Amino acid sequence: MLGFGGEREAVSKVGLTAADLVAARRREPAAVTRVYTAYAPALFRFFMAAVGDRHQAEDLTGTTFVSAIESLPRFRGPIEALGGWLFQIARHDLYDHRRKQSRSRIEPLEDNLNEAARMAGADDPEELALDRVDADRVVAAMRQLSDDQREVLLLRMAGGFTAPEVAEILGKTTGAVKALQHRGLASLARVLGLRSPEQPQERPYPSPDPGRLTSQEEEER
Amino acid sequence: MPRPKPNKLHDELDALLDGRPVELTDELAPLAEAADALRAELAAYQLDPGVADRHLERVLHGSATVVSLPDRGQPNGWDLRRRLAAVVLAAALVLVPATMASAAALPGQPMYPFKRAIEELRIASVQWSPSREATERTRVVDARVDELDRLVELQMFNQLAPTLDALKQAVVEATAAVNDARKQGEVAAEAQDQLNQVVGLSKQVLAKVADVAKSTSLPLTGATRSAINTAVAETQNVLAQPGRQTGSGGSATAPDPNSPPASASPGSGSSPSSQTQPSTSAPEQPTTTQAPAPTTTTPPTTTTTPEPTTDSTLTPESAGGGGDTGDEQTGANGRATEDADPADQAPADSPNP
Repeated sequence: MLGFGGEREAVSKVGLTAADLVAARRREPAAVTRVYTAYAPALFRFFMAAVGDRHQAEDLTGTTFVSAIESLPRFRGPIEALGGWLFQIARHDLYDHRRKQSRSRIEPLEDNLNEAARMAGADDPEELALDRVDADRVVAAMRQLSDDQREVLLLRMAGGFTAPEVAEILGKTTGAVKALQHRGLASLARVLGLRSPEQPQERPYPSPDPGRLTSQEEEER
Repeated sequence: MPRPKPNKLHDELDALLDGRPVELTDELAPLAEAADALRAELAAYQLDPGVADRHLERVLHGSATVVSLPDRGQPNGWDLRRRLAAVVLAAALVLVPATMASAAALPGQPMYPFKRAIEELRIASVQWSPSREATERTRVVDARVDELDRLVELQMFNQLAPTLDALKQAVVEATAAVNDARKQGEVAAEAQDQLNQVVGLSKQVLAKVADVAKSTSLPLTGATRSAINTAVAETQNVLAQPGRQTGSGGSATAPDPNSPPASASPGSGSSPSSQTQPSTSAPEQPTTTQAPAPTTTTPPTTTTTPEPTTDSTLTPESAGGGGDTGDEQTGANGRATEDADPADQAPADSPNP
């Protein structure tokens, strides 16, 4: 394992080297392409699961990547930390996106549903809904988790980070991340109808309001 | 600051998610099942190669308009259509020249790594279907043949040997993909036909390259001439019996540092059905003495027969190309600590201004 002093020989777990980082800072096409190829699929999966819309997820992936490459000269960490840094930008962009969405005017539902169906190539909103229920069953179930649980699981599963890496991205302790991923998966298992001995049905968890933390989560923070 | 209680179950689940060996207890089983279901669903989300083109173009040339998300209110139906049209127009304006520019790139040119990366992305995006993968890999063979042809026309002789190696590799991978498609019961006839056509074309271009190497009137150094001769001989060997070379393809070359490890299935080399070319089309024997062993002595299994001196001659620029092999360094980031205060763990660099 190498720290800041050993940049030259360091290789990230997606196969990028310190030389790639240096070249990407100079926007050399080959290096930028390598960074993109290494991280864009994971970023896209993260956004897809978070926003549930392909076009928005594509735009967010592009926006994140552009801001990352533009900010790359200011990144001074080792190559191994690049993925975490990219996903910090991704989280920032996601929050921005959600904030903008929440300010949106309310449009006639029918217009939006028809537009969504048309863009997805479905005949009507009903067909689109049925398609999505089949294809995104688990991701849809994740919407019932708390924000923290969902974020931890997405960084673990879509981003491919270890618990300590997720802890660093989120600014939490590794123990808290492990607890969140455990409870997130337990809730997910329950929502999906899998047996979950840890959490009996009567326990009021997850919180009906994903923005609010349960007392147990609050304690872990 | 209250510390989280240590919990064995949390640690076991974490180990399970990391792929470390853990006993699957009744408590862990449903969690593992949920994690698997989530992973499987996430894996189905694939980035469209066209979108990847657009993103890369936006970064590399800074000419694309960033597709802005609505910041003031949700657009109504008309606005949405108008914005969609604008996005499509912007994408077309950017994507078409970028794709054309990279498609025309030749080995040694700045856009060439971009072209190869796009090829890899395209292949990765169709790997769920063996027949589509076979078609895509055949397209890659066609691209290499086209490059060879143009390199000869432009007299870029120093790029011929590496491109021949890349062609050889592409043929081996395409053949393996066609075989895989056939094994999995997919309709592979069309892919096989396409591959046969491209292999036929490859032989014609290869003959052209061999003529170049033989010609004494061209300004070729001895080393370049020798490298071309060797590469031609090896490629002819593969073209004559593409299915038998699967195992050696990965070890003989590393065509581009951008390329991920060769995905050709080692087992497919022994498949007799991969004999797409009759034995009557024996390759023209080169003048060089470095020609590989005749095909009659080629082992039927995937045993490799590396030729170190030839490799170093053929792919001078691919040395170190194995850097992208994705070495696992779990937990490489040693800065995160288990019990430190979150404030102390904040990264040194702020992600966004």
